[in-house]
Amino acid sequence: MLSIKNLHASVEEKNIIKGLNLEVKPGEVHAIMGPNGAGKSTLGYVLSGRDGYEVSDGEATLNGKDLLELDVEERAREGLFLAFQYPVEIPGVSNMEFMKESVNAMREERGEAPLTAAEFLKKAKEACKQVQLPLDFLKRGVNEGFSGGEKKRNEIMQMILLEPKLCILDESDSGLDVDALQVVADGVNSQRDGERSFIVVTHYQRLLDYIKPDFVHILADGKIVKSGDASLALEVEKSGYAFLGKAYEEAEA
Amino acid sequence: MARTGHYTAQRDDYLSPVRQQALAQLKADGWPARRNESWRFTPLTPIEKREAKQAVQTDNLPVPAIDNLNAIDLIFVDGVLVTQVNTLDVPAGMSITSLNSDDAATRQAISSVYGKVKPSRHMFGLVNDALCQHGIFINVEAGVKIDTPVRIVNMASQNVDAHTRVVVKVAEGASATVIEQGFGDTESLTTAFAEYDLADDAHLEHYRFAMFTGKAKQLGGSHFKLHNRTTLNSTMVGYGSELSRLDVDIHHAGEFADAKMNAVYLLAEGELFDLHSTIEHAMPNGTTEENARGIVGDKARAVFNGRIHIHRDAQKTLAELNNRNLLLSRRGVINTKPELEIYADDVKCAHGATVAEIEEEALYYMLTRGIPRSKALVMLNFGFIQELINDVPNGAIREWLAPLLSERFAQMEVK
Repeated sequence: MLSIKNLHASVEEKNIIKGLNLEVKPGEVHAIMGPNGAGKSTLGYVLSGRDGYEVSDGEATLNGKDLLELDVEERAREGLFLAFQYPVEIPGVSNMEFMKESVNAMREERGEAPLTAAEFLKKAKEACKQVQLPLDFLKRGVNEGFSGGEKKRNEIMQMILLEPKLCILDESDSGLDVDALQVVADGVNSQRDGERSFIVVTHYQRLLDYIKPDFVHILADGKIVKSGDASLALEVEKSGYAFLGKAYEEAEA
Repeated sequence: MARTGHYTAQRDDYLSPVRQQALAQLKADGWPARRNESWRFTPLTPIEKREAKQAVQTDNLPVPAIDNLNAIDLIFVDGVLVTQVNTLDVPAGMSITSLNSDDAATRQAISSVYGKVKPSRHMFGLVNDALCQHGIFINVEAGVKIDTPVRIVNMASQNVDAHTRVVVKVAEGASATVIEQGFGDTESLTTAFAEYDLADDAHLEHYRFAMFTGKAKQLGGSHFKLHNRTTLNSTMVGYGSELSRLDVDIHHAGEFADAKMNAVYLLAEGELFDLHSTIEHAMPNGTTEENARGIVGDKARAVFNGRIHIHRDAQKTLAELNNRNLLLSRRGVINTKPELEIYADDVKCAHGATVAEIEEEALYYMLTRGIPRSKALVMLNFGFIQELINDVPNGAIREWLAPLLSERFAQMEVK
């Protein structure tokens, strides 16, 4: 599914990702944890192709396709989905219109006919109910005036509608109370079908009680310094990142 | 043109005193100097050396329809009124006549508005006063609600000067819808001015589509006098051309009048559009809401000057003015200037102006959802324009404007 080899990336000439390797196979859930400034969010931005994030070395392929060669929208249409830590508010563009355009862009990529307004509305309503957002959120401007939790649920709603191959969830748990966390996790779990893969970026082990990872990686100072199973997250929860030693101190400095 | 000072009044009739007065003022004021505040950002060079020329012959050109809008059309081609107004099927309680009327009562009604609603400081308003040959008077009788919109169209088809005038009187408790539309892209000059006198409890739904482009020069204005409890809902759309200027005045001459004005301008490469609006609150308890929003393309220039003047007696006034702009290129220019002058102490007044560039973060967000870049740009940057289109009270006009403007925007390049 996703293969990252020796990835180096910088923002404003500051090296953030420094030789990252990661293999994600179909159906797997990988959690990435790590201290602040380790490069967790940067990884999502680099993979999605955000402007200003320069890759200086290494490679990243999605189902054999060179991601780094593609434009942002092409990566999305290849099946890469990034759930934002801070979803962007777009007043004036309705959530409905926004999602209809994205769903139809994906359908076009797959050679399918665009959904009619009625067909889309039906799907959107179902997804909206699934993440427990009131239906009038479809009509509102994209994320406009949504609370933090509503924004996160809106991201999950988009993920459900877009049916991506690989989902990167960037701190989808931050700022959520337990109920909202449950909704987000249920949304994610409903999309686990043995084929779709997930990278769950989080600060807290708490989310991983709800979304069971196959692998847990610790990202520090731009590379993965330790990998393990779900128990690694528990270890982090208990004793923090002190075990990282020198790498951790540098990252925190 | 005007610079050479060769003004001659057109005819000797009941409007002659207005014409003579306009001529006298034009001569006294002279051609605006380069630093003249009113024309600071809108150079008049394209018409400085222009030779005045009247149309000798006009063609009856096809008028583009506004789909599903069932309106009474009044058509000026190159300044000549080509519609036979006396053959129009006009609803009871409304009359439409030429300004060249022989009827004494009609003349009196026209004289009570002509040149009296439009302030005399507008230079091209004076030019229009002096040179206008063809004009229309629309009168709506007290208490009559006219549902059928009246559409007045100015078309420029040849290189002549066109000066047209519209005078509208809406009597007590009456209501009407008037659309002023102008278009053409050939080298030409149009001054089109309209004056609206709205009596107590009258309602006017107003549209001005200033859609001249290319080498067509337009200098026009819409001017409103509001009396007690009058409501005005105005929507304006401006395209730019080599020289395009619109002056709007809303004068609260009565209490509890409510004015709403939404203006949209979309300027393609190299175009200029200048909107000067002045809101005069002379009486208490009036409300005004003005939203002007525009998108400015490469090497284009938008000028917006929004003045709100609250007189000493105009207590409890509520006035809001907002101007939002989007620049598609570093080489586009926006000169925006909201002006507040407040002499009453118990008022609520707000104004603001913003100039934005393409929101990279929102664009990125949309791209990560697979939306094609060109589509995302329209969705993202047309939203604040679409909000004003959604606000258009007439459904047919709304349906006509939305695709028209989004298409115009989609063809504009981001540089």
